Amino acid sequence: MNELTLIDEHGKRSDGRGIDDLRPIKITVGVIKNADGSAFIEFGKNKIIVAVYGPREVHPKHMALPDRCVLRCRYHMSPFSTDTRKNPAPSRREVEISKVIRESLEPSLILSDYPRAVIDVFVEVLQADGGSRCAGIIAASVALADAGINMRDLVSACAAGRLGDNIVLDINDLEDKEGDADMPVAYLPNIEQITLLQLDGKLSTSQFNECLNKAIQGCKLVYEIQKEALMKKYFGNELELKEEVV
Amino acid sequence: MQEIKRRYVIPGDKIIEGNYKPLMNVMKSGDYLISTRIGIAEAGKDGVKVIPLSGVYIPRVNDLVIGKVIDRSSLSWDIDINSCFFAHLPAQDVFGRDFSPARDDMGRQLNIGDLIIARIVSFDRTRDPMLTVQDKDLGKIPYGEFIKISPTRVPRLIGKRGSMIQTIEQATQTRVIIGQNGIVVVTGRDIEGLSLAVKAIKMVEEESHTTNLTQRVKSLLNVHDPSELEQSENALSSTAEVSNDALSSTAEVSNDALSSTAEVSNDAVSSSSSSSSSPTPPVTSNSSSQINLDTQEQSYSTAESQPQQQQQQQNFASVDSSNIKDDVEQSENDDASSNLADAYQKEKKQEANNEVV
Repeated sequence: MNELTLIDEHGKRSDGRGIDDLRPIKITVGVIKNADGSAFIEFGKNKIIVAVYGPREVHPKHMALPDRCVLRCRYHMSPFSTDTRKNPAPSRREVEISKVIRESLEPSLILSDYPRAVIDVFVEVLQADGGSRCAGIIAASVALADAGINMRDLVSACAAGRLGDNIVLDINDLEDKEGDADMPVAYLPNIEQITLLQLDGKLSTSQFNECLNKAIQGCKLVYEIQKEALMKKYFGNELELKEEVV
Repeated sequence: MQEIKRRYVIPGDKIIEGNYKPLMNVMKSGDYLISTRIGIAEAGKDGVKVIPLSGVYIPRVNDLVIGKVIDRSSLSWDIDINSCFFAHLPAQDVFGRDFSPARDDMGRQLNIGDLIIARIVSFDRTRDPMLTVQDKDLGKIPYGEFIKISPTRVPRLIGKRGSMIQTIEQATQTRVIIGQNGIVVVTGRDIEGLSLAVKAIKMVEEESHTTNLTQRVKSLLNVHDPSELEQSENALSSTAEVSNDALSSTAEVSNDALSSTAEVSNDAVSSSSSSSSSPTPPVTSNSSSQINLDTQEQSYSTAESQPQQQQQQQNFASVDSSNIKDDVEQSENDDASSNLADAYQKEKKQEANNEVV
């Protein structure tokens, strides 16, 4: 497959987007009744469900930390989430993504508020289409807020990458495999700090800067969608609080 | 100093700029105060706080909680208080100082699976919370309907000055015991009233952030419209309120008010018994005076003046709900829901006061 199929002469990408367009994102909050917090995200063709339990008792007990809460993350792809069946046992890739999701969420949480407890985050990929770690982080952050855990900020995430000479926003599965670089970024939009930065491929310094800036812009767009989803769950459509008779 | 309106926030939202004191679920970030929870931000005289709309229960000293005995060691019980920490109830608290594990049988007092209402005496996050059942009205809950609600909904269920829970109790002839940890136990003799109360509590939980909730709960419980009620049973409702007022004041002032409540309660008895023969006695106001009397009966043993029937109603060792209300009232002042006042209740109180004068 050559690069022409990834971006055509009109600047359109393989799925019809422009170079600065995100895939359509839809977030639903509170989809799992038994969990303390939960979210379902459709990020293009990605479909991911996230459940948060806790803060709760740590089992096994020796894992508990005396001064802060333990955060445990499990990223898992369902056997039916990909074209060919995926073995449900945790692969090397899943273990690694679990770790990077945990590390990208940790700075946003005030874990010292819940010493000797644990927060469990389960990220289950029902359908994968490239950028599932970003989508997982977005949904996990919303689910953590839904669970009522003290947070400094929401975490939004977005990838950017290079297709030939073009730096494009939000890489999908095909572009990930055939493109030249893929850079997922997780970002705290209010505090303006980066909590995850990975890079697969080659970028020059100027391309790197452009790619990072583009990913951060993408994160800010995603943040608005996260915010809207949370607001909708808790406050319906009214965004201003009406003063009531006392 | 700029004034801010109450508004909805999510984690990370900037609430206000400037040198304000962060009170609850708020942290400083640069010049701004930011929210750490989903909720309603409020800036008062003392500082800025966010009333959370979700989250698990984190124990606080002096909270009244309902817990379940899950384990027993030789010196204490372990209590599940619906939190990430298990609480301990020392055996000395139940048996007294001279408790001896060899002599006293702990199983005689509390068994695994028992439900208790207790107060948190100490908790600082580095150790598990300690409970006590020493206070009046604390201890084992013998029976009742068990409901678990979100701890963030508890202040809304209680309502401003206990208005919501009073409405439910009076309309369904039940007693509702609320723990700050989100566990509610409803007791009552009437099965229908019990299920109606459970329904109302679940409704409050689900729709706690919506406006006009009190009205909808009242219509669910078939409580008469305030204006109608006032016209038909003015005298009755006002005496009921008087006893209510006096009761709350005794809780604060104690001995002086005690004698006056006893008098007022006597008045209330006579008026309620006389009004029971009136053509259309609304169920709610009648029962309201009953419940008020019941609580007094427990607190101040003015039992001689009470009708027999009312004594029987409270013959199990349960918790004085008025006491719980007093406790939660303080924490409830912190709550956004407290602003959803019951205008009707206030109006009635005013009238009652006038009558007394």
